[in-house]
Amino acid sequence: MRDDSARDEFFIGWQAEGPPRTMRFVRARVLWWIALALGVAVLAAISQRPFASSNFEFGAVRTFEGVLEHVPFPVLVVDRPAADPAGPSTSRWLLTVFGKRGAEPHTRPFDGARVRLKGSLIHRDDAVMVELLPETLAVLEERSARADDASAATPITLRGEIVDSKCFLGVMKPGNLKTHRACAARCISGGVPPVLLVRDESGRATYFLLVGPAGEAVNERVLPYVAEPIEVTGSVSTRGDLRILRADPEAFRRL
Amino acid sequence: MGHSYQAVQWNPNKKRYDALLLVSVVLYLGVFLGVGFVWFPEATAETLLLRALGTAGFLALHVILCIGPLARLDRRWLPLLYNRRHLGVTMATLGLLHGGLALLQFHGFGDVSAFESLFTSNPRWGSLAQFPFQPLGAAALVILVLMAATSHDFWLANLTAPVWKALHMLVYVAYGLLVMHVALGALQVESSPIPLVLLGVGILTVGGLQVLAARKDRQVDGEIGVSPGSDTGWIDVCAIGEIEDGRARLVLASGERIAIFRDGDRYSALSAVCQHQNGPLGEGRIVDGLAVCPWHGFQYRPKCGRSPEPFQEVVPTFPLKIVEERLWLDPTPLPLGDESGSTSGGGIRA
Ligand code: HEM
Ligand code: FES
Repeated sequence: MRDDSARDEFFIGWQAEGPPRTMRFVRARVLWWIALALGVAVLAAISQRPFASSNFEFGAVRTFEGVLEHVPFPVLVVDRPAADPAGPSTSRWLLTVFGKRGAEPHTRPFDGARVRLKGSLIHRDDAVMVELLPETLAVLEERSARADDASAATPITLRGEIVDSKCFLGVMKPGNLKTHRACAARCISGGVPPVLLVRDESGRATYFLLVGPAGEAVNERVLPYVAEPIEVTGSVSTRGDLRILRADPEAFRRL
Repeated sequence: MGHSYQAVQWNPNKKRYDALLLVSVVLYLGVFLGVGFVWFPEATAETLLLRALGTAGFLALHVILCIGPLARLDRRWLPLLYNRRHLGVTMATLGLLHGGLALLQFHGFGDVSAFESLFTSNPRWGSLAQFPFQPLGAAALVILVLMAATSHDFWLANLTAPVWKALHMLVYVAYGLLVMHVALGALQVESSPIPLVLLGVGILTVGGLQVLAARKDRQVDGEIGVSPGSDTGWIDVCAIGEIEDGRARLVLASGERIAIFRDGDRYSALSAVCQHQNGPLGEGRIVDGLAVCPWHGFQYRPKCGRSPEPFQEVVPTFPLKIVEERLWLDPTPLPLGDESGSTSGGGIRA
């Protein structure tokens, strides 16, 4: 080995310059290590699980108009553009506020009213949420007459994962599974609507807004079950384009 | 222990090392973020940054844990050991940024404090697959930050060496915690086998080098072990010419490593364990009449075992005698600073 004579050299760290052969040995290897580290960076970067094409229009504030409804989570019922005559005439968008918080304390006083509000869009597939700026809430009409388009409930058993609607619909990527569990629990605990995420064989996702047997919020009680595979038995109904799953967390089953 | 921490000073080598370290970290983060965004245009910056910082810190810890055994296997790695402290501080900083970002992102802006959330948001302590992996990272971070904060020789002197060394042995605990942090966290979620392979290679490299170095140490101990030649306790070490000038011969006597240094025709026996960080003083050299430790260059006068002023370290000395051209050692330490053990070979040179 060419560098063998370096073994006779004696490196003393506090001297201005190290012995030449030893320093050559170290320099060559350090450069290799740096190359190796950059290789690890590339491998680690490309081996991540693919990211969802959901979106949070962070910082982009828009104005929306619609009727406030509580299911019990606040939703904004907005008119759909007439372009699609076959589909329903309205969409229901979930509402949230900044942070890991639900919007209910801010929207409750305006239940049933037609309002104008400002906020940023969060969307994934065809599900939409608005992170609203509460101080922009303005009433346009105290009581808005609107057809109740709720369906009857049918019993159902579903397998899926509880996610918090805010992160999953676009604020965090990934917004589900174990690494996101703590965040999902925090969001749901703060009032963000919990959603049961169910995938069919092809991986297509369906969302069910998760509430108690009487349609009440059960956020605190679903916390131990978030972000892991579970089976939920309850009854499902629709309200416009929202699917609502009433179920007793007592009967959730871990898979 | 007074002024011993002044021993660490700046020099061109150290500056180059730090500059290279900084460039490497920036390059690593840049490559991770750049490649990440090109490969996954849908990715969010926070997630990529969190992962870039976490993997960079974890990789740096692997490097740190490899340097020690490499230097024991081949002394040409010693220049990296000398500056390892800066690598440690850099690694702890990366861990702190990763942990801080995670705390903000996953636990901040909620209905309880981020710290409370860190320990309560995942209650599945009884499940392996669902085990709360974030508190494991936090525990490791506490160790790494404590180590970084106390890494300066000022703290070594003030905490006393045994406390400081115990604290710094916790690096292996931190490593174990981080392996679990990754195995029970990110690995539970990733779909590609590459992260698992990377982690496996990392563990095998660190573990393998540690085993090799420990085996070499045992071999060395086996070679240097001698048994007492008589009931008076004196040990027949070797013929006086056998020790190369300026170097030491190691003796393992009653479980203690003793270095017999030769400086010209003078022989002196010192404890082979450096007072600084337990470095292998017996693998040191005599430079300018002082025994120099190969790890960080602490110096000791061979005759009395004392560091030159203003330093105050002392290693124990042992009685030596020359009988019929052979060196004899009594492995009972002399009172600290005692010069009487040193002996002169009467002009005999190898
Ligand atoms: C308070 C302390 C810490 C917290 C809260 C924390 C949190 C997290 C979280 C949430 C993830 C998963 C991120 C994801 O993949 O989406 C993660 C992954 C990871 N952490 Fe930590 N961590 C902490 C400390 C550390 C430390 C000190 C290190 C090493 C120096 C570290 C290294 C890693 C690595 C290598 C990964 C896997 C790559 C990744 O997914 O980012 N963590 N950590
Ligand atoms: S261990 Fe640091 S100089 Fe000897």
